[in-house]
Amino acid sequence: MSRLEIYSPEGLRVDGRRWNELRRLECSINTHTSASDGSSYLEQGNNKIITLVNGPQEPKLRSQMSIQKATISVAINITRFSKMERSKTSHRNERRVLEMQTALVRTFEKNVQLHLYPRTQIDIQIHVLQQDGGLMGSLINGITLALIDAGIAMYDYISGVSVGLYDTTPLLDLNSVEESSMSSVTLGVVGKSEKLSLLLVEDKIPLDRMESVLAIGIAGSHRIRELMDRELRKHGRKRLSNVSSNN
Amino acid sequence: MAKDIDISSSEAKFLIDSLKQGFRFDSRGFEEFRDVGIEFGKDFGDVTVTVGRTKVHCRISCSIAQPYEDRPFEGLFYISTESSPMAGPQFENGNNTGEDEVLCSRIIEKAVRRSGALDVEGLCIVAGSKCWAVRADVHFLNCDGGFIDVSCIAVMCGLLHFRKPDVTVAGEQITVHSLDEREPVPLGVLHIPICVTFSFFNPEDAEENIKGDLNNEICLIDATLKEELLRDGTLTVTLNKNREVVQVSKAGGLPMDALMLMDCCHKAYKITETLTDQITSELKRDADSRNQFAAMLSSENARVS
Amino acid sequence: MSVFIAPGDDFHLESRDNVILGPGAYCDPRSQAFTPVNAGFEVITESKKGICAHVEYNSKRYVPAVGDLVVGLITGSFSDSYRVSLASFSTPVTLSYMAFPNASKKNRPTLKVGDLVYARVCKADKELEAEIECVDSTTGKDDGFGHLEHGTLVQASLAFCRELTFNAEYPLLSLLAKHAQFEVAIGINGRIWIKSEEIRHTLAFSRSLLECQDHPVSEHKHIISKHFKNVLNASS
Repeated sequence: MSRLEIYSPEGLRVDGRRWNELRRLECSINTHTSASDGSSYLEQGNNKIITLVNGPQEPKLRSQMSIQKATISVAINITRFSKMERSKTSHRNERRVLEMQTALVRTFEKNVQLHLYPRTQIDIQIHVLQQDGGLMGSLINGITLALIDAGIAMYDYISGVSVGLYDTTPLLDLNSVEESSMSSVTLGVVGKSEKLSLLLVEDKIPLDRMESVLAIGIAGSHRIRELMDRELRKHGRKRLSNVSSNN
Repeated sequence: MAKDIDISSSEAKFLIDSLKQGFRFDSRGFEEFRDVGIEFGKDFGDVTVTVGRTKVHCRISCSIAQPYEDRPFEGLFYISTESSPMAGPQFENGNNTGEDEVLCSRIIEKAVRRSGALDVEGLCIVAGSKCWAVRADVHFLNCDGGFIDVSCIAVMCGLLHFRKPDVTVAGEQITVHSLDEREPVPLGVLHIPICVTFSFFNPEDAEENIKGDLNNEICLIDATLKEELLRDGTLTVTLNKNREVVQVSKAGGLPMDALMLMDCCHKAYKITETLTDQITSELKRDADSRNQFAAMLSSENARVS
Repeated sequence: MSVFIAPGDDFHLESRDNVILGPGAYCDPRSQAFTPVNAGFEVITESKKGICAHVEYNSKRYVPAVGDLVVGLITGSFSDSYRVSLASFSTPVTLSYMAFPNASKKNRPTLKVGDLVYARVCKADKELEAEIECVDSTTGKDDGFGHLEHGTLVQASLAFCRELTFNAEYPLLSLLAKHAQFEVAIGINGRIWIKSEEIRHTLAFSRSLLECQDHPVSEHKHIISKHFKNVLNASS
């Protein structure tokens, strides 16, 4: 493999972004109205993700039921064609995927007002159609949108993004080429605050650089929150105008 | 986990109340790691680590295997962290797909294997055909919280303590020398990652945690089993002595202020330093006790400089 | 005075008349011989009714027996009863809604899942789920049973809990009482609930209880004052 220039001296990255620029983020909600109670379709760069939320509904197994609050389950389906090369095996029971599911459940457990829906279950299904780095962050954004569409009470948005550290420069929102050549941090930020619900570091990062990486990550997450919020409000206005024109 | 340990709401309330007043049940400070006991067995790579009442045994073994085709110059390294009912009745036999078990094994995997703590290239014997396969088997003997931290120490101590038999290569012919025949060789350990787990408790209600600016969340280091059962969130930081963050895992749970998390990382570094020093001194003591006659047999004589 | 006996030994009984056998003792139906079936200390007491013989032994698992005073944890509620756990990982027992003072079809108890109750085992058949009650069935009064609010729980060994309950001369509780006021409910199932006005006192009590069970009586005074000093110093 030829040596790609990850971050040029002029300050440009492989896809022409600057260090603090996000990838294109497009999202829409209420995309799968008949299949689910809440759904979203999210494109973050080349990540393409469908999220479906079903519930709050009666749990399929009585043993999963909690008297005090709703239970959340997350199932991630990473399609075999989601990467450049078709994968030979299914990703379903990989430990990596199980870990992601657990992390997502635990992230949203604290942010959804579960005590309002006792004895129910909220099922979240995610289909990853295409992935290009920073998957975990995109999954969080997708779930947030779908949960809002489903009308499930939450305290705030959770927005996720990944940040890499190239030498001493933090790079926001990595794609897969960048992700494979540097260590990355994934954050899940609650609303406009500086509170982190999720924080994953998978490779070595100098302790003294962590702070700058987190700072740019939080700023990026806030921007993503704004973009999602704008899209949601646009959708809300459209629905509102439909309602008023019917009357 | 198959069944959970019963815990009453009075106990939960009492724990939070006493934390608010600054007390932990075992009279430790909030940021105090329990004393770590490291015991080496008779064989190389046989370690038992005790932290409080948590007890973890790790055994390193090696065999000769064929390397992966895409990585002909690298040896193999596996870590198996299977919990069994031996550690406590809450663990099920043969079922390691529980949330906590998956997280534990993934964190150990990331902290030790993916961070390159073991020099796998040094395990190569003949490129593409023969290499050492090193295996770390972690056994949980008793559970009182802090499995991740303790098993990471156990695996690292095991790797540092282990010696693999010496080999000589002549063309395709390789000879493995038994331990009596030739001095066995230690593994190449590149750095010592240390995991420190923080447990978060929310003394206020959920809304205050998310919307408020109080940042009153309590954070404990090295929780006991009871504290683990009642905590609202957890963060595992893995660091080494070179001030590198090897791995951080805060898989959801209580949202925490970024500055508090940074603060946790710095606290973890202090613990990393003391634990690394302890590990190296324990290893040295073990090596000295094994070689107590070395000075006698040595032909070296004291040089006057 | 205490004699250690093991299964297969003989009880040191003078006569066989009017003997009441307690836990750990077995009467062979064929030969009518009394043999101990557990290893422990032989306890023979004389009362008006006759001679009681039982073996005092420690065990890890609590098996419910009629008349035991226990501390239970509510783990579930059904249409007419609660499910109560007496020990982690053991079969649950039931606590009927009617087993409360002044119970009636209309008057339901208001316990929630996670609450602690002090109760008496009223039915313990081998094949059936055991039952407990929060009322003295002869008088219909609460008799100190019922919901244990606040406080905390200490897990102790079964033998230690029996000692605390049955041995009136065991000095630990009176030693504890010298330091602060407290309420205590000792369950034979190895759970001790303790509560006092201040958190730090409760903390010192529970730490002392835990440590004292592994130490002889002579050291108790020292252990307790150590724990009290510890919490008082920390807060000042």
